Amino acid sequence: MATLKNNSRKLPIRPETERTPEEETLVMRLDMFIKMRWVAILGVVLVTIVARYAFNIVFPTLPVYIVCVFIALYNLLLTTQLRELNKSPADQIIPSARRQGYFHIIFDMLALTVLLHFTGGMENPFVYLFVFHIVMASLGLKYREVYLLCTVAVVMVASLYGLEAAGIVPHVNLEGFVLPTRYQETSRIAAQLVVLAVLLYGTAYMSTAIVGEMRRRRREVVLRSQELAEKINELESAFGEIGKLKEERDKLLYFIGVAAHDLKAPLTAIQGFLWVMIGGFTGEITEKQKNLLERSAARINELMRLISDLLDIPRIESGQIVEEMKEISLHQVIFHSIEVQRNLAETKGLVLKVEISKELPRIMGSAPRLQQVLNNLVYNAIRYTPKGTITVNAQEREADVLFEVIDTGIGIPPEDMSRLFQDFFRGSNVESKGTGLGLSISRRIIEAHGGRIWAESPCHGTSCGSKFSFTLPKMSKPRKS
Amino acid sequence: MTGKILVVDDDPDILDAVAMILESQGYKVVTARDGVEGLATLKAERPDLMILDLLMPKMDGFAVCKELQDARWAEYRKTPILILTSVREDASRRRYELETGVELDVDDYLEKPMSPDVLIKMVSTSIEKKKSR
Repeated sequence: MATLKNNSRKLPIRPETERTPEEETLVMRLDMFIKMRWVAILGVVLVTIVARYAFNIVFPTLPVYIVCVFIALYNLLLTTQLRELNKSPADQIIPSARRQGYFHIIFDMLALTVLLHFTGGMENPFVYLFVFHIVMASLGLKYREVYLLCTVAVVMVASLYGLEAAGIVPHVNLEGFVLPTRYQETSRIAAQLVVLAVLLYGTAYMSTAIVGEMRRRRREVVLRSQELAEKINELESAFGEIGKLKEERDKLLYFIGVAAHDLKAPLTAIQGFLWVMIGGFTGEITEKQKNLLERSAARINELMRLISDLLDIPRIESGQIVEEMKEISLHQVIFHSIEVQRNLAETKGLVLKVEISKELPRIMGSAPRLQQVLNNLVYNAIRYTPKGTITVNAQEREADVLFEVIDTGIGIPPEDMSRLFQDFFRGSNVESKGTGLGLSISRRIIEAHGGRIWAESPCHGTSCGSKFSFTLPKMSKPRKS
Repeated sequence: MTGKILVVDDDPDILDAVAMILESQGYKVVTARDGVEGLATLKAERPDLMILDLLMPKMDGFAVCKELQDARWAEYRKTPILILTSVREDASRRRYELETGVELDVDDYLEKPMSPDVLIKMVSTSIEKKKSR
């Protein structure tokens, strides 16, 4: 219980200043672009050297290196820009990161085009590296921007090829790799451009679709985990409440326990002395004295019963009874309560009949409490029946077990019926010495077991005075009280 | 009737009442006011029966029953125990089982207030049983 209470720490919900996973990945990708660019520069230099010296493809290498230096320079610039971005306010991050990403890719495509120009123009197969740029673009940019970049790439390449073919821009032939006349073959140029365009737009379509799906799922995961965190918080506070209630209930039960003991202790002592005197253990007493002592003892008994009954109510209502419940045999419950009452019935000359089916289901319940109910009903029946028979019935039904206590007694006036199970109700046609709590306690016990209790008087078509019935459900579904 | 009976109860009036009833029947009665004193008296007096209250200060009746399960008390274990308390029997048994995990092993159980006749009957039955053991 204590651990539950102390455990009320909140689960981490994202503070406003922290970045969403989406912002985080965008920035991370820009960083990745910069790193990849360094690798790309290295790759260009390596490819140039290999092509030049290993494959003996002849082309001027100096412009290639110059372009590499240029790329390195703007990459440094982009690095500082990214650092600035990290400092900008949270709500600016996504738009600025997108803008930066857009320019990264424009720069890169431009650099690639320039490189292509110096390394053979349409003769250079590295033109298809534009696919990389499109994939990178689709990771962070809007769909429209990705398609725009495809178009930019196709236009740049087409212009390069066209200008070279037309002789407006000088063409560099990759000697030893491609025939020096090919750059003016229109059909070749057209074919290459079509392949490039299809490749780029196709890639853009597929990768934006995949990335979009991933983004949607990630948003969903974030949303769900936030909902989950809220639910967990609610649950924890509910557990805390339950713990507190249980603590309060335990305190109340402890209080009742002590109160019951302390109220009864002096009465028990008095009763002990009274009985010692009545029993003649302290010497002879006169009949008159004995009579008074016996009446005192009876009143003490009455008071003790009242204390027990009064303290029973909070015990049952606080749900203590549910803790006492276990699988019990109804036969035993009935047997025990009947045994207690049999003597009383016999001294009054009444017949006590028990009619229960041989097979009764075992149920979840508190045996002493159910005995208390049967005791109470049978005791009442005996008390209000001058002559005749008391019958106790129990039979299994579809969903429950039905108990009936039927007497041939004086019955219950109609005006009393509705108040029968209320606290402190005593019948108007009897000179009652009870606490008026017996039936109300019985009702609480039966209801705590998930059953129902009711009374009929007079019963239909028979000579009976009154019939008290109650049910106990077969399945263990104790009502929360 | 002969026999020595130890009565353990924190209420002196109950002790007196029980003692008067039992002494009228010829028993010798020794008393103790709590569990600790009760165990000491059990050792010193070796009674034929112990009448034990459950709710007491210092060491209650539950603790006494539990203590007697220990091997050190083996020779006193055959002394019959009669519980005399205002706690209902089912409540006591449930509590003892919850606390110790074993059943409350006592010879008889009487709820207060006790009728002298029932008390006398129970005491004589327990002592008879012990003698025939």
